[in-house]
Amino acid sequence: MMNVLTDTWHIVVRGLRSRIRMPVFIFMSLFQPVLWLLLFTQIFNKSFGSMPGVDYTFRDFFTAGVVVMTVLFGSAFAGFGLLMMMDMGILAKMLATPVTRVSIILGQVIAAVAVSIVQAVIIFVIAAIMGVHVATGVPGVLLALFIVALLGLAFAAFSNGLALLVKRQETVMATTNLFTMPLMFLSSTMMPSQALPAWLNTVRQFNPVDYAVVGVRGLVLEGYVWSDLWRSLVVLGALAVVAVAFATLMFRKQAE
Amino acid sequence: MSVIETKSLTKVFPGDVRAVDGIDFQVNAGEIFAFLGPNGAGKTTTIKMLNTLIPPTSGSATVAGFDVVKNPAEVRKRIGYAAQDVGVDEQATGRENLTLYGHFYRLDGKTIRQRVKEIFDLVGLTGYEDKMVSTYSGGMRKRLDLAMGLIHQPQVIFLDEPTTGLDPQTRAHLWDYINNLAKTMGVAIFLTTHYMEEADRLADRIAIIDLGKIMTMGTSDDLKKSIGGDVVTLTPCVQKDEECKEFVRRTEAVLSGQPFVTEMKPSDGELAVYVNDGGSAIPSIMQIMNSQGIEVKSISMARPSLDDVFLKYTGRTIRAQEGERTTFAQLRRRASRRQK
Repeated sequence: MMNVLTDTWHIVVRGLRSRIRMPVFIFMSLFQPVLWLLLFTQIFNKSFGSMPGVDYTFRDFFTAGVVVMTVLFGSAFAGFGLLMMMDMGILAKMLATPVTRVSIILGQVIAAVAVSIVQAVIIFVIAAIMGVHVATGVPGVLLALFIVALLGLAFAAFSNGLALLVKRQETVMATTNLFTMPLMFLSSTMMPSQALPAWLNTVRQFNPVDYAVVGVRGLVLEGYVWSDLWRSLVVLGALAVVAVAFATLMFRKQAE
Repeated sequence: MSVIETKSLTKVFPGDVRAVDGIDFQVNAGEIFAFLGPNGAGKTTTIKMLNTLIPPTSGSATVAGFDVVKNPAEVRKRIGYAAQDVGVDEQATGRENLTLYGHFYRLDGKTIRQRVKEIFDLVGLTGYEDKMVSTYSGGMRKRLDLAMGLIHQPQVIFLDEPTTGLDPQTRAHLWDYINNLAKTMGVAIFLTTHYMEEADRLADRIAIIDLGKIMTMGTSDDLKKSIGGDVVTLTPCVQKDEECKEFVRRTEAVLSGQPFVTEMKPSDGELAVYVNDGGSAIPSIMQIMNSQGIEVKSISMARPSLDDVFLKYTGRTIRAQEGERTTFAQLRRRASRRQK
């Protein structure tokens, strides 16, 4: 057990180190969310204010969505790291050592989530500079980061499991692109629930991204809405557990 | 004392591909043992079974005294492995790469620091510890890759095609390092290669492997002696067409039964004739060929090489195989090396 923890730690350090040494990628993946935050708030702010039942600006409303999107995109492509390790022979070499098997997959997932959490913090800082006021303050931001970390964990683990299943970068890329965008739009990320058609309000209840957005947005706009928060934490926590189990199982199958 | 021992070790891949087909061999402590064979002969598959990366279909193997199937964890603690692909992290320094493996082998921080120093010295990378691997040359990467499997002082080191894709000078250097390892660390080295010269220069014993089977095994000298005498190679024509095959067939027919011929092996476009004394056999051969009206384009004589040994036991030359099946990964690595 001790070995699992120390091995995982070393793999996480390795993952973070190589990412920090290529900061261009960290900023490139931040570029899109920041653009959305800056641009969409300009486009929608006017019409958004005239909607019934809305007493907040689109900028305040959309911050949660951009934070979630950043973590989603940051973690959904995490499987590429493992595929690169496979292609370069790094994984095979590691597997011939006594390293605990599960640590490799856990370390990869955790490193990916850690980077996306740093990105989420950057988004919160940019939002604050733009004048967004988080209702629950710093403690609320920390809870929000925990919620998106669960989402990130789920998607990073799922991406790693998928990578192990198909083993081809192109397939992982295509699959990931196929589901990330719809997950964004089939949720209340862009518009509040009262502005959405009934079918979409039904669909979004099966969308993990929506649970993250609802939880984080509550913390930004209103305060601690515990009924929403618990639902987000339970759903995303369960999903993370299932995804990590899936990734570990895939890894066991492929590694042995 | 043998540190590797296999019994009818077999690996069958889906589609009934018998990659390794019931091989038996032993490697002793401190010995350099080479698997010599063309690509696809089953060399890498054998290594992967011995270093616990894939399970055998049947048969058994013990490495450093432990069964690879029943006790893989104990095996892994006692082996080092350098694959054909250099498995080093380019976005890290040499020291970071090595330290990570030190942790994997459960060494404490102090031991790791000390061993890193020793090992960098051993593989001739002193002064490059804190340089990024992305700035290393191909040969340096290979040496670092080797070093990563040494930090825990293993009993057995597996080297899969250690010098494939390296230039001749770098290759010769690496041979020195590998030799040095066996001498200074007393470690057994199991290596695979398709380079005759590599097996000849490095290995104490060589097993010739083809189509998943060990065709013959012994020291380089023993293997060459097993051929007996000299090899006279006749090349009837330049192009390897049907006409040429006909020449080889006819030549074989007229020479068979001659008292000085011990054995003959045709391969594509050539006929190898094994004789006791090449010097006196050549005039006789030429006389017979002339009298039969068979034109010989070229004739040469050589002391037996490992290539002749390979031909004798497999019916093919290993030279013809070389470089034929280059994998995509190899091509990509070569391309990336050229860019640097």
